[in-house]
Amino acid sequence: MIPRFIRRLAIVLLASTVALATTAAHAARDISIGLQAAITSMDPHYHNLSPNNSMMLHVFEGLIKRDENQKLVPGLATSWKAIDDLTWEFKLRKNVRFHDGSPLTADDVAFTLKRVPNVPNSPSSFATFTKPIVDVKIVDPHTLVFKTATPHVLLPSDLASVMIVSKLHGEKATTEDYNAGKACIGTGPYKYVEFIPNQRVVLKANYGYWGGEEPWDKLTFKILTNAAARVAALLSGDVQMIENVPTSDIAKMEKDKNLSVVSKVSNRVIYVHLNQSTEKSPPFVFDKSGKPMDKNPFRDVRVRKALSMAVNRDAIVDRVMEKKAVPAAQLLPDIFYGTSKKLKPTRFDPEGARKLLAEAGYPNGFSMTLHGPAGRYINDDKVIQALAQFYSRIGIDTKVETFPASVYFNRATNLEFGYMLLGWGTESGEQASAMRSLLATRDPAKGMGVNNRGRYTNPAFDKLLEQALVTMDDKKREGLIQQAAEMVMGEVGLIPLHYEVSTWAAAKGFKYTARTDQYTVATSLKPSK
Amino acid sequence: MTAAVQTPFQRIASDFAASKLALLGFAMLVVVIGIALFAPVVSPQNPYDLTQIDVMDSKLGPGEKSMAGQTYWLGTDDQGRDMLSGIFYGLRISLGVGVLSTILALSLGILFGLTAAWFGGRIDALIMRICDIQLSFPAILIALILLAMLGQGVDKIIIALITVQWAYYARTVRGAALVERGKEYVEAARGLGLSSSRILFRHLLPNVLPPLIVVATVQVAHAIALEATLSFLGLGLPITEPSLGLLISNGFQYLMSGKYWISFYPGLALLLTIVAINLVADQLRDVLNPRLQK
Repeated sequence: MIPRFIRRLAIVLLASTVALATTAAHAARDISIGLQAAITSMDPHYHNLSPNNSMMLHVFEGLIKRDENQKLVPGLATSWKAIDDLTWEFKLRKNVRFHDGSPLTADDVAFTLKRVPNVPNSPSSFATFTKPIVDVKIVDPHTLVFKTATPHVLLPSDLASVMIVSKLHGEKATTEDYNAGKACIGTGPYKYVEFIPNQRVVLKANYGYWGGEEPWDKLTFKILTNAAARVAALLSGDVQMIENVPTSDIAKMEKDKNLSVVSKVSNRVIYVHLNQSTEKSPPFVFDKSGKPMDKNPFRDVRVRKALSMAVNRDAIVDRVMEKKAVPAAQLLPDIFYGTSKKLKPTRFDPEGARKLLAEAGYPNGFSMTLHGPAGRYINDDKVIQALAQFYSRIGIDTKVETFPASVYFNRATNLEFGYMLLGWGTESGEQASAMRSLLATRDPAKGMGVNNRGRYTNPAFDKLLEQALVTMDDKKREGLIQQAAEMVMGEVGLIPLHYEVSTWAAAKGFKYTARTDQYTVATSLKPSK
Repeated sequence: MTAAVQTPFQRIASDFAASKLALLGFAMLVVVIGIALFAPVVSPQNPYDLTQIDVMDSKLGPGEKSMAGQTYWLGTDDQGRDMLSGIFYGLRISLGVGVLSTILALSLGILFGLTAAWFGGRIDALIMRICDIQLSFPAILIALILLAMLGQGVDKIIIALITVQWAYYARTVRGAALVERGKEYVEAARGLGLSSSRILFRHLLPNVLPPLIVVATVQVAHAIALEATLSFLGLGLPITEPSLGLLISNGFQYLMSGKYWISFYPGLALLLTIVAINLVADQLRDVLNPRLQK
């Protein structure tokens, strides 16, 4: 009797262990990731915003993809080439299916290009990327030919930012249909399950994915805007990985054996736009007695230089950013295409800055309010306070005001501020596109200076840049871009401060491949053993 | 009946001194008020003057020296601000905001409370229903909404605090005044043909003051805590001029990295201030309550 009882017990125990082990294995294939910023939409063509773009890479794919160093690699297109200066041919990958089982064809690509500029109420459109294409010709179901009006070397890079949607589901779909999941059907490695704004996005594996099976069955992205909450969620095991580890905690977490922390310099430069749009004092800039001035000081290159020299970039990097940043001299770290090795970060020289201000006619300085976002960039509210310190040392009366990102960027775009702390991540990974957006004389119809909130303008620079943008020869083009960068940085078209170093932390057993574009994508997260 | 006749004030003072704890609270309060009044004199640094703080001195521990050789007894925050000076100036703002908003809310409360009690009827009903509505919302919620609409600044915080506090006083005044209104001395004053306003402010008001003083002292502590909460949440004062709440909030981000002093000391200062006020308020309540008198 007794042996039988024990045998039974053993069987029950064994069975339950097996059951436990399988659920554990299952649970390990279901992972949660803590994100800092909210996803505003699941429509891949609605809002050109880094957190959205990062999320879209799970569900959708572009013709061309970017690897973790932002190098272009084949995506839904297996090859592409410029037939002549104005004509490009793209060959589509065969046997790619959307999540509903329908095959990907050239029709879907043509439909996507038509949809992108026509998404209603888009807060930040993707049309910049598709505008250069004036004609789309479908040669066969897997070959497309694009025509541009002028030579457009950035075409492959631009198209890497355009996610291909299904024509079948997208034709009558609105942004709401994508948000609700009805139209959110792509070719990517994960499928839509649930999207709850400001809370979470849930995706599940697309087992028939052409690129091979992913190691995860289910992904839950939790929006944890508060940095301490994000860290706590990781430490408690609520999530397996977080992005944007607060700089104050990095040192301690790097020592923790139960965590793996990875970081990498990013394509994001933190910089200052000085509002040069007005003849007289720009908003929030006054003389010492608080009266508007007759001249806009920011239009004087000496003042701009002084404002750059007054900044102790090493102090910001060392003290505010806890060394998780690199002093900036241009718009991208000099490992990227089109950057000039000749440009070095402006040397900290408060005495020289004072002298330049005096030369420009402000021996006693002036007064201004520094404006910036709170919580959009790493330690943004601390950086701006440090800047205020530096400026008060050279005799400028300085105040600081920060706003939540949603308020701040709209007001900055309306030029309601004088001195604006901003950031720019260059998705294309080459400096011409950043200069085109931030420094070229503003002309939205031509896609120039779209985000030039400083309204800096220099015809000689514009000419060089435009010439670079139509030069097909890579070597020659890079020379032109470098020349343009040296010119515009010499004139302090904007004040570069530092490049952010992005940091991810994962629980034991997980390994994340850090990316320069700051994107948090589950496809870069693997089991470490 | 003994020979020594005490004035009411002497009576209150001697009753108050009967509790050692209350005396301790009072002494602490005197110190805190002294620091707040003389903050610019006693602080080693003006923490709001950006030329005096240096980001290179940031996050130094208590007792460490700056690059210029100055010792930071309580360490520095993430901008290199001397914590001791930051706390002194922070106390100044906290106490100033607390006291000023309480006095203003008290005046408003007295005005509405007396009006309601004296005239009764519809006016009473109207004012008291407004109070009821106001009191049914959490104070922090009303303050948050107000600050979101008004923007930043000391004046805005005071407006928000007055708005969330006046109803307490109005209710207390009305209750006390209703009791007093039926008493003989008021009848007598009426009989003498005195004007309403004279009876209200010269006869009724002094007699409803004791409970008000108690409520006001407790409310100062509430107001200070509320101001700190709002600053902690990032609403209220500019980030370059931190009050205690903002100092605590700044340090909160560093708690996990072991830099405890940025939050701890301002928190301690806030705690001691509120405890001191509450000790004093407790004893005042006992002393001023006629029912507890021996």
